[in-house]
Amino acid sequence: MKVSKLTLSFIFGLLFAGLASTSFAQSSEYKLDGKTFGMPEAEVFTEDYDGPPVVGEYVTMLPNLAPLDYEGNKHHEVRIDIMVQEIEVAEGVRYNAWTFGGTVPGPVLHVREGDRITFTMKNRSDEEVTITEPSKGGAPFMQQVAANNISKNKAAVMPMPHSMDFHAGTVAKDDKWRTIAPGQTVKFDFIANYPGSYIYHCGTPSVLMHTAMGQHGVVVVSPKDGYPTDDEVAKEYVVVQSEYYLEKGPGELYQYDFDAAANRNPSHVVFNGHQTVMHDNPLTANEGERIRIHFSNNGPSGTSSFHVIGGIFDRVWKEGHPFNEMRGMQTVLVGSSGSATLDMIVPEEGKYILIDHEFVDAEKGATGTLKAGPRKK
Amino acid sequence: MKPWLKYLLAVMVLATTIPSRAQSDRVFVPAGSFHSVLPEIKGEPNKVDAFYLDVTAVTNEEFVDFVTENKEWRRSEVPSIFANDSYLDHWKSDLDPGIEETGAQRPVTRISWYSANAYCSAAGGRLPTLNEWEYSAQLLKFESPEEMNEFSKELIGWYSRVNANFIGAVGSTDIETAYGVKDQFGLVMEWVENFKPIIANDLSLDCGTVGRLQKLGNIYSYAASIRFITRMSFSPESTTGMLGFRCAYDVETKDTTKNSL
Repeated sequence: MKVSKLTLSFIFGLLFAGLASTSFAQSSEYKLDGKTFGMPEAEVFTEDYDGPPVVGEYVTMLPNLAPLDYEGNKHHEVRIDIMVQEIEVAEGVRYNAWTFGGTVPGPVLHVREGDRITFTMKNRSDEEVTITEPSKGGAPFMQQVAANNISKNKAAVMPMPHSMDFHAGTVAKDDKWRTIAPGQTVKFDFIANYPGSYIYHCGTPSVLMHTAMGQHGVVVVSPKDGYPTDDEVAKEYVVVQSEYYLEKGPGELYQYDFDAAANRNPSHVVFNGHQTVMHDNPLTANEGERIRIHFSNNGPSGTSSFHVIGGIFDRVWKEGHPFNEMRGMQTVLVGSSGSATLDMIVPEEGKYILIDHEFVDAEKGATGTLKAGPRKK
Repeated sequence: MKPWLKYLLAVMVLATTIPSRAQSDRVFVPAGSFHSVLPEIKGEPNKVDAFYLDVTAVTNEEFVDFVTENKEWRRSEVPSIFANDSYLDHWKSDLDPGIEETGAQRPVTRISWYSANAYCSAAGGRLPTLNEWEYSAQLLKFESPEEMNEFSKELIGWYSRVNANFIGAVGSTDIETAYGVKDQFGLVMEWVENFKPIIANDLSLDCGTVGRLQKLGNIYSYAASIRFITRMSFSPESTTGMLGFRCAYDVETKDTTKNSL
């Protein structure tokens, strides 16, 4: 009988819906060793939101880092939505990237140790979202992308479940890092308890595929008491290394190469998401200046032996924590999802090359340019 | 009246029988067994009884016929508990799919599990079970394990390449099982009756899941695990631009229909 069948169907449907809303143990906030733990339960909901996909005063496009123009701690409201964008990763190589905020890597979030972040993310992989037009209420990131559309973005649609895993957060992953379906939004709080540069990435399986498809970025957490050389730093940049595993598809576009990813054989290893972006738009400084690079290796699978040709890192803070200071390093080994904060004194006017000294990676693209002008009197 | 009771009554009212697909659009899939990527009793494959399955996914054209006859399932009428906001929102209007844009022969997408159920029920069938769908999907003809791996690698590549704005027509993939079922891969994702098996809770969607799902030790199971994980994220009211469906039919149902003709 049709009626009872449909009724049954509906009841099964309700059951499924029930399964989706598993309840989590409720934590209450507590402090330990100067750090704050115990965040409220994440919320998953649907919202009628079609505003700017990236929101937050201190959210920028690589290699920029927003200056922290406030004292002490701040409560940040940040949104980074998930979208599919056709982007360029090297001349003639375009693919449908799965992105946070529309770019690969995603936007840089800058906060201070101890800051609270209320994070909202809508899975907009099932809608066309244009990110290259400046939008009211959007983060500085939006204006920067509009002004410098290096990947020549085009909106695309490929609905997939996704999630957000901030390494800067210390929370229960089955609550905050929950996978959300296309059209859903997740909202949660975390406290940036530890200083340093922390990767974020999609944690939905296959993590290898989701990350390699472009879902990663960086949160820079500045130490509450700073680094000892802060007053001498003239310029600060963020450089992210990552791999692509692409092969030519049947049409114009490239696609994910399963074999290459499974065998750690990237087609491209890049700084800031594009094979030549850091040569086309070099980092700039002047002779005699101290510059700081927040370097993160977002993988998904490779290591980086980061070096600057012609320079020595005066100070290195492994993972960006001020306690982890080393001096006089020629090359810094950074594993997948690791980072380092690096100070370098620019010795002379001229050109310096940032490079992954694992030369196979360098020749696949992991290089960039630092252009130094004359010494300022 | 309790609100949920109202909804149940609404469902009952919606149950109208309009056979939308011709008998020739379905094929017989004989009983058999297959290994799932989900945990199973060691060495014991999942047994599946014989059933009929649509050759292709339901098209925009066919779904227009259905909503014409069953106005409760039109975009403007469907209760929000039965479908998300994006239900058929790529169509021009309730009864105009905008064929120039969406294609008469393209699979209908942005339909919920509820609406797919109602359609199949009206057509004298039901959604295929997870096991039926996966069993049929494994009835592709491969000459060697290498050929199967090559196919699966291409399938994973397809996931990374496809743009839901440019889906092909049904039958366009050239992917066909030994029994003539077309496009189970390479066109859209498809609803199944029990898309979120109970085991989904235990598996949890974390980064070890793909590894644990790879029971068969080949790329096929990797591709399958992506499919399972995507399904598990859905709710019955989910509607996406890559999610369509086809119907299955019990063997008895088919026979009954035949006898009555």
